[in-house]
Amino acid sequence: MTTKKLTYMALLTAVALIIFVIEAQIPSPIPVPGVKLGLANIITVFAMFRLKPKETFLILVCRILLGAVFAGQMMTLLYSFCGGMCCFFLMLLMRRIVTEEQIWVCSVAGAMAHNLGQLAAAMAVVKTFGLIVYLPVLMVSGMLAGAFTGFCAQYLLKHLKKLGTY
Amino acid sequence: MVRTSTWIRLFLVLLCCFGAAAFLLAQQQTEGCIARIEQNGRVIRTVDLRGVTAPYELVLEAEDGGYNTVQVSPGSIAVIAADCPDGICVAHGAISKSGDPIVCLPHRLIITIEAAEKDAVDSVSQ
Repeated sequence: MTTKKLTYMALLTAVALIIFVIEAQIPSPIPVPGVKLGLANIITVFAMFRLKPKETFLILVCRILLGAVFAGQMMTLLYSFCGGMCCFFLMLLMRRIVTEEQIWVCSVAGAMAHNLGQLAAAMAVVKTFGLIVYLPVLMVSGMLAGAFTGFCAQYLLKHLKKLGTY
Repeated sequence: MVRTSTWIRLFLVLLCCFGAAAFLLAQQQTEGCIARIEQNGRVIRTVDLRGVTAPYELVLEAEDGGYNTVQVSPGSIAVIAADCPDGICVAHGAISKSGDPIVCLPHRLIITIEAAEKDAVDSVSQ
């Protein structure tokens, strides 16, 4: 890992963290745990298509850990972590089958996997299967939010390409 | 490569399915009167909301030192104050129906409503 690469990754992590912390200040419009825009996912998708999987993984883990510290939500770390891992591994698979114009598809699938993982973690923690009533709402919100962040990442990738190396 | 239109179709179908499921679940909610408060997967209190005459408050302590203030009213139950970071439990408002649990994930708290045990005789025959 060159110093240049390390700096680039650190920069992406910082950008993701800033987005994450600012988003945490916006109150959720729907009082269902887990419904949010997930704007920090733009960086994960971006890294997924620009960097190696290992590097993307490091950025994601750093963002989740530091995000929990900065937002003061240590109790929700487990949920974010499970969601983040599901999202990462599904996007890793999806990455191989989508074209440059279909990056948003990867993000939609990732967002759905994220919400599914988060719900599973929540059900395991509160030991209540009844949370499953939130599944349809979480899937719909995941698809919409995932499409939005996916298009953001897709256009970001497309236009940053013009800058050269990165 | 899968065509973009195929992806769009797939997602639209899924969107419709989950949308319909969400709608049907909302329709399925029934009035209940037993409120069950669970923390860390253990039932810590059950309240028969029919027996409540005047509203009162309960302060539930969470593992991390936080709290949720629950207001029990005749026929409904709500979390009116909490120091969790997201405040979703407070935003949820009062509930009186099953299938609409109040959840506070940071404090591992869940409040659900259940119908009372079925009486042998329904209210009409009584």
